[in-house]
Amino acid sequence: MRFRLTTTLIAILPLLAAGSLVLRAQEIKIAGRPLEVHGSFSQGFMYTNQNNYLTDNTTSGSFGLTDGSLNLNYQIFNKLRVGAQVYDRKIGAIGRGTVQLDWALVDYRMKDWMGFRAGKVKTVLGLYNDTQDSEFLHTWALLPQSIYPVDLRESYIAHTGGDIYGDIPLKKLGTLSYTAYAGQRPNDLTGGYAYALGAYVPTIHVTSYTGLQVGQDVRWATPVSGLLLGASHQSQDVNGKGIMFNWAVLGIPDGSPFREGTVRDFTNQFYVQYQHRKLRIDGEYRRYWRNHSLYFNNATTPFNIASDSRSWYIAGAYRLHKRLEVGAYHSRYYADWNQTHNFRVETFTGSGDPPDNHIFDWTLTARVDLASYWNVKIEGHFMDGYGSPDSVHGFYQPQNPNGFQRTTNLLVVRTGFNF
Amino acid sequence: MAMRQAKILLVVIGLMTVATGNGPAWNIKVIANPSVKGDRVSIRELKNVYLGKASALSDGTPIEPVLARRGMAHEAFLKQCLDQSNEQLQLYYRGLVFSGKGSMPKEVNSDAEMVAYVARTRNAIGYVSADANTDGVRTLNIESPASRKLVTRIEPEYPDILRANRIGGVVRLEVTIAANGTVQAVEILGGNPILAEAAETAVRKWIYAPARSQTTLEVTIPFEAR
Repeated sequence: MRFRLTTTLIAILPLLAAGSLVLRAQEIKIAGRPLEVHGSFSQGFMYTNQNNYLTDNTTSGSFGLTDGSLNLNYQIFNKLRVGAQVYDRKIGAIGRGTVQLDWALVDYRMKDWMGFRAGKVKTVLGLYNDTQDSEFLHTWALLPQSIYPVDLRESYIAHTGGDIYGDIPLKKLGTLSYTAYAGQRPNDLTGGYAYALGAYVPTIHVTSYTGLQVGQDVRWATPVSGLLLGASHQSQDVNGKGIMFNWAVLGIPDGSPFREGTVRDFTNQFYVQYQHRKLRIDGEYRRYWRNHSLYFNNATTPFNIASDSRSWYIAGAYRLHKRLEVGAYHSRYYADWNQTHNFRVETFTGSGDPPDNHIFDWTLTARVDLASYWNVKIEGHFMDGYGSPDSVHGFYQPQNPNGFQRTTNLLVVRTGFNF
Repeated sequence: MAMRQAKILLVVIGLMTVATGNGPAWNIKVIANPSVKGDRVSIRELKNVYLGKASALSDGTPIEPVLARRGMAHEAFLKQCLDQSNEQLQLYYRGLVFSGKGSMPKEVNSDAEMVAYVARTRNAIGYVSADANTDGVRTLNIESPASRKLVTRIEPEYPDILRANRIGGVVRLEVTIAANGTVQAVEILGGNPILAEAAETAVRKWIYAPARSQTTLEVTIPFEAR
C-alpha cells in the first residue's frame, strides 16, 4: 500500500493527539481484558552543507525523514500475549512510504527464566536494534549510524521464526537475560542496499533478498546499580536474486539473472551501558564479517566479495530538566578494517585512513519534551568520510554525481509523537 | 561504678541499634488481592515484577502489577522501590511495547481506584499512600534488607588483650540471612582483624525473624575501648 506519506501523516497528527486522549479514557476490552493500542509518528528535517545524505537532496534542505507505527497488544492470560505492529517510513528514497508488518507474534512466558516468541519478531542485537524505529525512546534524532544505519535497517531489524528468552536472577550477582533466535530475514527491498544496486550503473534490480538468520544475545545487569554488559552474535545465510541491466560493457545482456549467496557472514557486537540518576553512558562495538559469492548471468564461477567492517561509538546523555535532555556521541565506522591505512598514526580527523573507507561522526543533541507524548530534537553531526561505494552507509552516488567531499555537516530537526 | 555501668549499657544499646538496622520509614503501603499468599514482599521482588523480569513472587505466586499514573504514592514508590523516575519507567515500558517484547501494566488514577482494582483482580498487587483506606485488600510489609528484624542477639566477646591495650574500633560485616532467620554466611568488610573475628563468631549465632527469601545486609559493630 503506497500513499503520500508525509502529507497524510501530518494531516492525521491532530487526530492522533485527540485519539490518544480518547483511547486512554476508553479502555477497549475483549473478554474482560484490555486491548492495548499504541502508535507513534515522527517528522524530521535534514540539511547538509555538502554531500547529499540518505538518498535525499539534503544540501537544499529536506523533509524526507518521516515514519509512523501502530500496534495492538492483548494479554490473553497471565503467561500468553499476542500482538502486532505495522510500520511505515520514508527517508529520501528509502522505505518508499510502504506500510509493512513490523512484527506480529505470540509470546508465551512459561517461566521467568524461559519464554517463547513465534512469528515476526524484532531481533535483539546490541542495545537498540529492536527499538531503533521508536525515536521517542532515544535521546538522538539519529542513533549512531556506525552501528544502527537507518538506511540498512532491514539487515537486522527482524526475523520470521522463533525466540527463546528469559531472565535468570543471580542473587547478589544481578540478573542474566538471554535471547536465542532463528528465522528468515524479511524480504525487504525498500532499504539502502537494494536501492543502491538498483540506482547505480551498471544496475541490479533486486527481486529477492532474504535468508536464514541465527543469533544470540546475553546481557548482564550487574550488581553495580545501573551497569549493564552484553554481547550479541548473529550468523546469516543470505540468498539474493535480481535482474541485471546496463552491463553490456562486460558482454552481459539486459535481463540477465543475478544471484548472491553467503560463504560466511557473521556479526559480533559488544556493549555496555551505565545509568545513574540523570546520566546515561552507552558504548558499543560491532564487527561485521561478510564473504559473499556473486553469480552474474548464470556464471558457474562466482565473484567473491569479502569485507571486515568494524564500528563503535561512545555516547553520553544527561537530563538537565524534566523537559530537557542533552547528549553527545562519537561514532566510527570502518568499511573494511583490512584496508585501514596508517591506523596507528591517524588523528581524530581521520587523516590517516582514506575517506572512502570510513565515516567518523561527532554529534551534539538537545531533546525537548514538550509533553509526555511529544518531543522535539535538534541535532548536529560533524562527519569525516563517506564510506565505501560497495558498503553504502548514508552516502549514495546518484545523489552526488560530482563525487563526494571529505566532510559533511548535518543538521537534523525532528519531532515525534507517541501514545 | 554507676557511671561505668551506664557506659556499658550505652554501648550495648548502641550495638543493638546498629545490629537491628532499623529500616526506612515507608510513606506508602504495598497492597495485594487476598489471593496473594504471604504477608511481605521484598524490594527485589517488586522491582522484578514491575520491570517485567518476573511474573511471580519468589514463592511462585503469580502477580499482576498495577501502576499509578501520578501522585505522591507513585513518586514515593518509584523512588523507594524501583529507583526510577516516572519518565524512565514510561520509556522502559514503551520500549517493551513498541518492540513487541511486553505490554503496559494496568494504570490507575488514584489511591481509591488502585484499591478497587486490586480488590477485585486476582493476583493483583499495587501501592497507595500510607494513610489510604485499604478495605478489601491485604497490606504487605515491604522487606528491605535494613528492615529484617533481629530476634536473638549474642554480644561479641571483647578480646582481653585488645581491651587491656585500649584497642577498639568499628567492625563491618556483610551478613547473609536465610529465609528461616538463621545466619547463613558472614563476610568481614572492615575493621581490626581480631575484633572482626570476635564479631563474626557472635553474629553467626544471631537469629532474625523469618522472611520470604534470603536477604543480605550490612552490620556495623563498634568496640569501644575504655
